Amino acid sequence: MGAAAPVAETPKAELPPGASRLPKGARMGLTVAACAAAIIVPLFFDSGGNVMNNFVLAAAYVVMALGLNIIVGFAGLLDLGYVAFFAIGAYTMGYFGSGFHANAGNGDGIHILVTEPASNLPGIHVNFLIICLLAIAATTVAGMLIGLPTLRLRGDYIAIVTLAFGEIIGRIAINGDEIHFLDTKLTNGRQGITPVDKIDLPGVDRFTSLELRPWFYVALALVFIVLFVNFRLRDSRLGRAWIALREDEVAAASMGIPLVKTKLLAYGTGAAFGGVSGAFLASYLNTVNADQFQFSFSIFVLAMVILGGLGSIWGVVVGAIVLSAINNYLIPDVFNSLPSDIGLDFDLTELSFGIFGFLLVIMMIIRPEGLIPERRRKMELVEDVGSDEGVFEARMP
Amino acid sequence: MTAASLPATQPSAIRAVRAFLSRYGLIIALVALPAYYAVSDLVEDGNLTRIGDNLVDGLSNGSIWALVAIGYTLVYGIIELINFAHGEVFMIGSFVSAGLFGTLGLTAATGTGGLILGLLVTMVVAMIACGTLNVLMEKVAYRPLRSAPKLAPLITAVGFSFILQNVGLLWRGGSPQSIDDLINSQHEVFSIFGVSITNGDLLAVLVTFPLVLLMTQFIAHSRLGKAMRATAQEPDAARLMGINVDTTISLTFLLGGMLAGAGGLIYALFQTTIWYFQGFTAGLIAFTAAVMGGIGNIRGAVLGGLIIGFIQQISDNRIGTEWTPAIVFAYLVLIMVFRPSGLLGEETREAG
Amino acid sequence: MTDVLLDASGVTKRFGGLTAVDDVSFSIPERSIVSIIGPNGAGKTTFFNILTGLYKPTLGRISFQGRNITSGRPDKIMKLGIARTFQNIRLFGTMSALENVMIGQHSRMSAGLFGSILRTPPVRKEERRVREHAAEALEYVGIRKRVHDQLAINLSYGDQRRVEIARALSSDPKLLLLDEPTAGMNPQESDELTALMQRLRDDRGLAILLIEHDMKVIMGVSEHITVLDHGEKIAEGGPEEVRANPQVVEAYLGKQASQETP
Repeated sequence: MGAAAPVAETPKAELPPGASRLPKGARMGLTVAACAAAIIVPLFFDSGGNVMNNFVLAAAYVVMALGLNIIVGFAGLLDLGYVAFFAIGAYTMGYFGSGFHANAGNGDGIHILVTEPASNLPGIHVNFLIICLLAIAATTVAGMLIGLPTLRLRGDYIAIVTLAFGEIIGRIAINGDEIHFLDTKLTNGRQGITPVDKIDLPGVDRFTSLELRPWFYVALALVFIVLFVNFRLRDSRLGRAWIALREDEVAAASMGIPLVKTKLLAYGTGAAFGGVSGAFLASYLNTVNADQFQFSFSIFVLAMVILGGLGSIWGVVVGAIVLSAINNYLIPDVFNSLPSDIGLDFDLTELSFGIFGFLLVIMMIIRPEGLIPERRRKMELVEDVGSDEGVFEARMP
Repeated sequence: MTAASLPATQPSAIRAVRAFLSRYGLIIALVALPAYYAVSDLVEDGNLTRIGDNLVDGLSNGSIWALVAIGYTLVYGIIELINFAHGEVFMIGSFVSAGLFGTLGLTAATGTGGLILGLLVTMVVAMIACGTLNVLMEKVAYRPLRSAPKLAPLITAVGFSFILQNVGLLWRGGSPQSIDDLINSQHEVFSIFGVSITNGDLLAVLVTFPLVLLMTQFIAHSRLGKAMRATAQEPDAARLMGINVDTTISLTFLLGGMLAGAGGLIYALFQTTIWYFQGFTAGLIAFTAAVMGGIGNIRGAVLGGLIIGFIQQISDNRIGTEWTPAIVFAYLVLIMVFRPSGLLGEETREAG
Repeated sequence: MTDVLLDASGVTKRFGGLTAVDDVSFSIPERSIVSIIGPNGAGKTTFFNILTGLYKPTLGRISFQGRNITSGRPDKIMKLGIARTFQNIRLFGTMSALENVMIGQHSRMSAGLFGSILRTPPVRKEERRVREHAAEALEYVGIRKRVHDQLAINLSYGDQRRVEIARALSSDPKLLLLDEPTAGMNPQESDELTALMQRLRDDRGLAILLIEHDMKVIMGVSEHITVLDHGEKIAEGGPEEVRANPQVVEAYLGKQASQETP
C-alpha cells in the first residue's frame, strides 16, 4: 500500500495509568487504620447486642464475598450458585460437630479434640479447626466438580449451570431428610441440624451464644487470613493467569495458560472460602437448615462483589459490609417502621427483595464498576471497551 | 467473545465415545426416564394408562412451558441475553389474569358463552400487559447496557426479577393463592385407551397451538418477522439495510412477553393456584426447555417445552413434586455438558 | 540447508460446507523468515489458528521439531516453543504492558497455588526473574521503561503491537507467528519492525512465520513466500519468483497489482 497511514493515537485516559488514586503511603495507612478499627471498635459495643451480631455476620459475609470474587472477579466465571458452597461448608459442620449422627461410635459418639460438654455427647464431635479443614476439602472438590461442566461454555451459560447446581444442592438439602445414607438421614431438611457445637479453641473460654465478641474475633481472624491469601494470589502467576482468562480466554490459552487447570483452581479456591465461612456460620447460628440455602443467597453474595467492584479486593470487603448492614440491620431494624410512619400498611422487610433488586439495577446502570473499582476495571466497564474487540479493531485502518 | 475451542489430543476411542454421547447422549437420557416407568407400568398394571396420563398431563403443562420458552429463545436469539426476569413476566401474567377474573366477575358458575368471552378479554389484556412489561424492561434495563460486558444486563435482569417477585408478594401475599376453577379443568371430556383428556388439557393445547402457529408464520413471512430474523443473524448488516434494530428488538420483547402472558393465563386456569414465586421455577424450567430445543429456535422451544413438561409430570407423579426441580435442573446440566446447542440446534462446532 | 522446524502437510479445514484451508503443505526451516500472503479471506489466519491449536484440522498433519502437534492444545503448543501475535491485537486490557509480557512466560514458570500464597524464596526469585525478563523483552522491541506500567489499552497503537510481540517473545519461542504485524503502521515503523524481525532471526536464531499485506515488508524480509487464495496454495517460492507469478497477480487483481512497487 502506497499511502502512509498515520498511526492512530490512543487517547490517554484521565486516571493515572496502572496506579490507584492514592499514593502508596496513604494506601498503607488506610489499610492499617481499617484493620485497627476492625479490632478496636467492637470493644465499645455490647457483647451480646444486636450490633455485635451484625458485626459477626458482616465478617462472615466478607469471607464469602472474597471467595466469590476469585471466581467471578478474578477469573471472570459467572457463578450464580455460590450458595452451594455455603451449604456444603455448613453441612460439614453439621455432620462433624453435632449430635446429628446419633448412632456414631455405637451410640457413644466420636470425639476428636473437643472438650466438655461436646465430648460427652453422642454424635460426631470434632474440633472446629479440623472441621474447617474438612470444609475446605469438601468445598474445593465440590467447586471443581461444579466447574467441570462449565469449562467449554460461554459466560451466560456458565451462569445457568452454576445456578442449576446451586438449586440442585438446595433441593437435596430440603429433601435430604427423606434420603437415608449409612443409617442416618442425609440432612434434616427444613427442621435443620441443631444444636451445633460451638467453637472450641484451646486456651480460650468456651464460646456461648450470649457473648458474641469472641465469635467476631474468630470471624475477623478468618477475614485477615482470607485477605492475605487474596492479595498474595492476585499478584502472582496464578492471579495474572486468572485475569488473562477473564480478559481473553483464547489469547490466554495461546500464551500458554492451561485453561482447564486455571479455571478449576479458581472454582476450587473460591469455593473453599465459602466452605469455611459456612462452617463458621453453622456454628454461630447454631443450626443448619435448608431454608438458609436459597438462590437469593447466591445473588446476595454476588451483589456484594458487584457493589464493591468486581475483582477489587477492598471493594468487595466494603460491598459485603454495606450489603450486610442493609440486609441485616438497616431494613429489619432501623428503617423498619418507615412505611408505617408515612401511613402505609406494611413493614419494610416485606420489601427487601424489591429493594435489593432495585439496588442491583441501579448499580449496573449508574456505576457498574463498583464502589472501589479494581484499578484496571474502571476502564473496561465504563468506556465501552470490549476485551477483544472495540478499541483494537477500531484502530485498524 | 467466542467460546474457545480447545481440541484435546485424545485417543480416537475416547473421541468416538464422546462423539456418540454428544449426538445421542441427551436423547438417551431423555428417553430413559419415561421408558423406565413405561416398563414398570406394564409390569405392575399390565397397561400403559398411567404413563399415558403422565404424557397427556405433561403435554398440557408442557404447552405452557413452550409459550414461555419461546419468549426466552426469541430474546436470546436476537441479543444473546438470557432474560432472567421472563419467568416473573409469566407470573405477572397469571396474576393479571386472576385479577381480571375477579373484576369481570368470572366464576365457576359463569355460563359458557360469558366464560369464553371473559377469557378472551382476559387473554388479550394479560398479553398486552406482559408484552408491555417486557418492552419496558428492555428499554429501561437492557438497552442502556447493550455495549456493556454480558454480566451487566444479566445482573439487571436478576434485579428486575426480584423487583417483580416483590410486586407479586405484595399483591397477593407470600403463600400460594387458589383461584376459582373456571373451566372445570379436571372434567374429563373423553378418553383414549383409558387415558383421560380433560378440559384443562384441551384448553392448553387449543390456546397454545394457534398462538405458536401464528407466531411462526409471523416470523417467517411478515416484514417485521424478517427484520427480526435479520437482526438476529447480523445486526450490523440489518442496520445497513435500513432495519430499525432498536424497534425490532423491542418488538421481539413484546412478542415474547405476550406469549408469556398467555402462558400465565393458561397456567392460572389449569393449576388454579398462583404464587409470587411461581415465576422463578417456571422461568428455569422454561429456560431448560428453550436450551433443550436449541436456543434461538422456536420449534425447538416448543419441542423442548413439551418434553420438559412430560419429564416434569413423570417426576411429580412418580418421584415427588419436591424433587422435580432438582431433576429438571439435572437435565439442564446434562444438556449443557453433552449438547449445548440443543436438540434442534446445530451440532456444536469449534470456534470460527 | 538447515533443519526443518515446522512441517505441515495436507492441512485442510472445513467449517460445515465452507473449506477455509484446502490441502496446504508447508514447511519452515530453522532460523528463517517465511511469509504467507494472499487476498483477504484466503485462509491465512485460519492456518495460523490451526498451527497454534485453536482449530483442529479436518485433515492433515503438523509436526514441530519432529513432534506431532496436530490438534494439540494451544497452551501445550505454546510450551513447545511456538508463540504468536494476533491480527486484531489481543492484549489483556486491564493489565499493564509489563504484566502482559509476564503472562507470556506463564508456561516457563512453576509457581503453584501454595507457593504463590506463601511466597517462598524460590517463588519470589522466580517473580523477580520473570519481571526482569519481561522488562528486557519490552525494551528489545522498543518500549521505553517509563511506559512499562501503563495499562495496555492506554498505549498507542504502535506500542500495543510491539507489546504483543514482546509478549510472544518473552516465552523464548523457537518459532514466532506474526499476524499482520505492520497493519496500521507508518513506513518508518514498518521498517523498524522489519529490522526487528531480522535481528530476531540473526541474533536469537528464531524462525518467523509472517502474514502480511504490506508487499514492501514481504519482499524485503522473506526468504520464502507461500501464496494462498481461497484456502489453496497457488504459488510459492522466493520473492522474485512469486512476484512474477501471473496467478499471484491475478489473485490480487485490482487490489495490489497497481500498488506494487517494482
